Amino acid sequence: MTVYETDVPGVGKKFEVDLDGDERLVLVMHHDGKREFFHKTSPDADAERLFTLSGQRAREVGAIIQGAYFQPVELSDVEVPLGDAIIEWVDVEVGCGLEGQTLADANLRKRSGASVIAIQRESETIPNPDPDETFHAGDILVALGTREELDALERLVESDED
Amino acid sequence: MAELLLEVGIALTGIAIAGGLATRSTLSVIPAYIVVGIVLGPNEPTSILGLPVALVGDREFIDVLAELGVVFLLFFLGLEFSVDQLLQDRKRITAVGGIDFLINFGVGAAIGLALGWPIVETLFLAGIVYISSSAVITKSLIQEGWIANDESSPILGTLVFEDILIAVYLALLAAITGGGGLRQAVISVGTAFLFLGGLAAIAWYGAGWLDRVFSTTSDELFVLRIVGLTTLVAGAALALGVSEAVAAFFLGTGLSQTSHVERIEHVVTPARDIFAAVFFFSIGLTTDVTLVAGVAALVGAAVVLTTLAKFVSGTLSGRVYDLTRRRSLRVGLGLVPRGEFSLVLATLAASIGTGRLGTVIPAFTVGYVLVMSILGSVLIQRADTITDALLSRTTSAE
Repeated sequence: MTVYETDVPGVGKKFEVDLDGDERLVLVMHHDGKREFFHKTSPDADAERLFTLSGQRAREVGAIIQGAYFQPVELSDVEVPLGDAIIEWVDVEVGCGLEGQTLADANLRKRSGASVIAIQRESETIPNPDPDETFHAGDILVALGTREELDALERLVESDED
Repeated sequence: MAELLLEVGIALTGIAIAGGLATRSTLSVIPAYIVVGIVLGPNEPTSILGLPVALVGDREFIDVLAELGVVFLLFFLGLEFSVDQLLQDRKRITAVGGIDFLINFGVGAAIGLALGWPIVETLFLAGIVYISSSAVITKSLIQEGWIANDESSPILGTLVFEDILIAVYLALLAAITGGGGLRQAVISVGTAFLFLGGLAAIAWYGAGWLDRVFSTTSDELFVLRIVGLTTLVAGAALALGVSEAVAAFFLGTGLSQTSHVERIEHVVTPARDIFAAVFFFSIGLTTDVTLVAGVAALVGAAVVLTTLAKFVSGTLSGRVYDLTRRRSLRVGLGLVPRGEFSLVLATLAASIGTGRLGTVIPAFTVGYVLVMSILGSVLIQRADTITDALLSRTTSAE
């Protein structure tokens, strides 16, 4: 990532940051602490003013961006720590073997070690699903287990062809 | 005392109201301050709708505040003077600065010579029409969002070059016009450059010492030290017959090498703003509108010629920075506004006061700056319409 820094006499400093592709973020920092943000669709395009922050606000927003308020766990899957066990969300894809099977048929607990503690189906959640609950495509399984058990479960869901 | 306090109160309130109105109409505040000075001052108009408006006299107290305005305008110019940027980009800045100087100073000198003015008066006129207004231009760049675009580089580069040049030029003019013959002039130029050289040396090599002098946790003590030292240096310079404004400029450059720059920007800027506003106001105060009307033809000719000159030189400067045609044209439009430094030169001319320096030049400058600061802001605001019209005439594709 390249950051271009220029002094702007009588105003303050200007920073340009390359974003994805040709886009650029331009930040003008005034001596009075005001920050102005601009966006360029390409290095040659005219800058469009996005918004302006006072010094105080800029520091707060900056802290949020830095993760001082809330630090997301940067993993591919969202997890909640729970002792040794963790909770993970597993998608039931269209065309995967689980479609149409019941919980009892799939026997996931026996085969992977992880237990399905709830199923999220569109806007509703089925907690503690019965053994005869049928899986639908698009379901999200909320599963509890250790990392290994959950990995095994994910492999099952992805490859379950029977 | 009561009378003086009331007059200063009226003046400052008038300035505040004028500034508010100008900001609301997105125009520069400088012409607004001048106009309110003309209205409230002792010269015509003395009454509006039957109400007496000549409320503020040309008092020494206001003159001192105005003088401080000049000093602090130049002090901040030095403070914000970016030596690093100049060195990093010296090739291009020298190129655009050279183009800008040759064309615009040349046009100014040509006007003076065409009118048959003597050399000193011509030098003043050329300087007045050459120097762009950092204050108006910077404000417009921020307003229009050009500050984030490529055209800001040549515009600001040109201003950096002009800033050094105007400091040297002020020193030179103040020395030349110090009176006496050629020998006297040489001596005073020598004295000036010795003094300023000493100041520059202190500024450069004494940065560490300056750093310690201004190290305090109290903002109150800090602002007192800065304002005190700056005024003292400016006063000492003037007592030695050197331009006080240039001395302040050098002090500013000295401080720009210390860690106090940002704090000065925060703490001292309000003081600068008040003094500078009073300076523009006092220009209006001492302006005789009938004299301005007398030089209307000269103002008109200068406006047309020097607007075109800046437009051409700026467009060429944009080309030096390899900008597209549209952006180059914007550079040309962006450099049109003239303002505070033209007025500083006119003040110097008025203080000498011989021949046209005391009458025609100050009146001309007021009229010229009023037109150019407003016209310049409007050109920048309407830049897209203007560049569209110009580019659609040319057939070559970008």
